[in-house]
Amino acid sequence: MPMVLLRCDKDIPEREKHIYLKAPDDDPKDFLPLANSPTIPGTLSERGCAFCGAKLVIGGVLKDTIQMIHGPIGCAYDTWHTKRYPSDNGNLQIKYVWSTDMKEPDIVFGGEKKLEKAMHEAFDEMPHLKRMILYTTCPTALIGDDVKAVTKRVMEARPDVDIFTVECPGFAGVSQSKGHHVLNIGWVNEKVGTIEPEITSEYTMNFIGDYNIQGDTFLLQQYWDALGIQVIAHFTGNANYDDLRGMHRAKLNVVNCARSAGYIANELKRKYGTPRLDIDSWGFNYTAEGIRKISTFFGIEEKGEALIASEYAKWKPKLDWYKARLKGAKMAIWTGGPRLWHWTKAVEDDLGVEVVAMSSKFGHEEDFEKVIARGREGTYYVNDPNELEFFEIINAIKPDVIFTGPRVGELVKKLHIPYVNGHGYHNGPYMGFEGFVNLARDMHNAVHNPLFNLARTDVRATPVVELKEAV
Amino acid sequence: MTAPALDEVYGYVQERCLWQFSSRAWDRTENIDGVLGTLADLLTNTPVNPSSPTERLFLADARVLADQLRERFPDLGSLDAAGVRALLESLRERVTQVAITQSRNHELHEKAY
Repeated sequence: MPMVLLRCDKDIPEREKHIYLKAPDDDPKDFLPLANSPTIPGTLSERGCAFCGAKLVIGGVLKDTIQMIHGPIGCAYDTWHTKRYPSDNGNLQIKYVWSTDMKEPDIVFGGEKKLEKAMHEAFDEMPHLKRMILYTTCPTALIGDDVKAVTKRVMEARPDVDIFTVECPGFAGVSQSKGHHVLNIGWVNEKVGTIEPEITSEYTMNFIGDYNIQGDTFLLQQYWDALGIQVIAHFTGNANYDDLRGMHRAKLNVVNCARSAGYIANELKRKYGTPRLDIDSWGFNYTAEGIRKISTFFGIEEKGEALIASEYAKWKPKLDWYKARLKGAKMAIWTGGPRLWHWTKAVEDDLGVEVVAMSSKFGHEEDFEKVIARGREGTYYVNDPNELEFFEIINAIKPDVIFTGPRVGELVKKLHIPYVNGHGYHNGPYMGFEGFVNLARDMHNAVHNPLFNLARTDVRATPVVELKEAV
Repeated sequence: MTAPALDEVYGYVQERCLWQFSSRAWDRTENIDGVLGTLADLLTNTPVNPSSPTERLFLADARVLADQLRERFPDLGSLDAAGVRALLESLRERVTQVAITQSRNHELHEKAY
């Protein structure tokens, strides 16, 4: 029973290995959805591509860096300003993207000259920018453009610039997860240790796997400031390119998103001996726990407890107001991977919400081990879901609200089920104490939105008023 | 008072602790042994003096867990030091079995991250 073949999947029976329905007394050793595996032909996958994982998720967040995308304009357009990660310098990373705009003749005759010209143009047009990440895409990887050689020539011609190349075309992996991996490993191998950061505190850390979605980084930074901890690099929320070159000097790596950035924390541990601390930075209970662990590591427990007490006094009454109104609500989480395990117990413990279905687009089996350990019995756990599965599961579990992206969200709205943007947030930030109150507010406004009751009403069932033509 | 059952303590640790689910088997082993070893010292009032950053990390994880277990399982106090260590050794074996030796995670033994 626990691995499930949905009715809609009868013609693609391989999907049974990807869908788990947790039953009472299941032994955790016996069931684990297959994950990070190729999408089965015939399924309407929701996944993003490997290039997207590198550019849109991680590299594109940097606030002082030219994002040069060597490929057709669509690869740049589709990963441009669709994710809400602001910065404190005017949101350069949201406003701009650069592309070599490859056309058919360029594919036939090669794109290296066009790339070199575009790189010089970009630096000339914005002379205050001295850092660049260069990404390959499917066509430019397939024709074999030697982007590292081009990068070398540009850096020789411009000694004051630094360029990082990410050779991760869309087809390189089964999902965007491959892009996370390539960027992480490339960065630690080529760029970490090439700059010495200025150390301003005896307590230093990197905060890894937070992308400043609607200001998450800004909010958490208040806590680190209160504790006197210097964050050498945020990987990569509101970060500068050179911040990330100095990651080797931190005494501790704190990891939030272990899927997109666990690799760099592992490599920093292996190469520099920096310990890796995994925390959950969504939810009251979890955030307090994370602060306690960080404070204990640095021996500043009293400061940590004072901060937690102050934040609880400020925000807990507000959270409890929402909890009283959300208790028992049924929630589905259809996001990328880690938010499943970050959120399922957080909303249950802090808000009394029951998570009844979860799906992951790019999670690995490690993510499913975590979420099944934390999730409820009777809940669906789905890897690489498709639209028909969404419909069938909705019918089975009848969620009150779904946390997902706008693409799927607009779909479920047509079924008169409210959604909250689980990727870019509705009205974030959602991390930390204040952030979780924001999440609770958005969930409350979705669950209790009167418009959905009106929309669900079938007006055809009521007597039709006959309209008379004006004379 | 009765001592808390292994199943109950394991259930809580499995749900709560991310350190058991690191990317690779060797990281999981290091974390499980390090955190639960430090936890045993804390719960038996044995002095803990971390001498490396990794040991400080184990202390950070173990101290939070020790407080949570004391609050959640007050009957832990009915165990003497040998009883606590025996319980935690059984816990270590169970966590190792589920998270490493019998895990269905295909990536645990890959050589690179």
